[in-house]
Amino acid sequence: MLRIQRVQGESLSPEYVEGDFVVITTLPFFLCRLKTGDVIVFQDNTYGLLIKRVEGFEADGGILVGGTHAQSLSSHLLGPVRAEAVIGKVIWHIRRPTHN
Amino acid sequence: MIYHLLEKLDRKLHFRRVKAHCDIPCGIYDPIIAQIAALTVVRMIDLMTGLEGGEKKDGLEYHNTISRYISVKEEHAEKAKHEIRVIWGDYLKAQHLEKHPQAHELVHKIMQLGSKVRQSANRETAVEFVEAINQFAEIFWETKGITTKRAKAPYAPNLELVYPNL
Repeated sequence: MLRIQRVQGESLSPEYVEGDFVVITTLPFFLCRLKTGDVIVFQDNTYGLLIKRVEGFEADGGILVGGTHAQSLSSHLLGPVRAEAVIGKVIWHIRRPTHN
Repeated sequence: MIYHLLEKLDRKLHFRRVKAHCDIPCGIYDPIIAQIAALTVVRMIDLMTGLEGGEKKDGLEYHNTISRYISVKEEHAEKAKHEIRVIWGDYLKAQHLEKHPQAHELVHKIMQLGSKVRQSANRETAVEFVEAINQFAEIFWETKGITTKRAKAPYAPNLELVYPNL
């Protein structure tokens, strides 16, 4: 139901930076609906386990994701994320103490 | 305190890493594509003007050639606009725009000029298109801390382009 994971990379900086911890809920989405702005963890066939922000939804249920960093991987390159690839949604973000 | 506790736990349990990736070539931006595309627009107008000044203006060959020039002009005007839109939308960040507040207006001017050079065969407008994109290139390289120089392109129509001092 809950998992702790650690952030690698800077695509969601300055909000999420390398070394931050996140607690994600793995509840099924009919119990925990996703909305634009949520931060999700999902499995990508090429890049592995990714953390990205939800930027929108396609009519067929595909989830469009992106980072906040200009050079972030986004759905332009990844394509929409399938709902079944989503591992969970961030419900708690524990920042590195040095991070403002 | 929670962070330090998690950090200690991480050393023992090795929590899974979730990647907020930035490290594939999506960070490759360069205005030179737009600059060359704009230069191509001028070149096509020059070729069209040359053909129009010739003697045979009603044969199949003439219509075929002029159509090809127009088609390339259309394609490259749109290509230049696309490249500028991508750099403006995907690369330029708030801090760049704070330092270069004229960038929005300049991009809008490029979009307008890009449409004008499609609608007409006016060389002056096309040269203005090249120059506006040159100005955008200067801003782009400045955001990367790279100085620029202006030099004539080594191919027709030999207009001045902005190049980075690498």
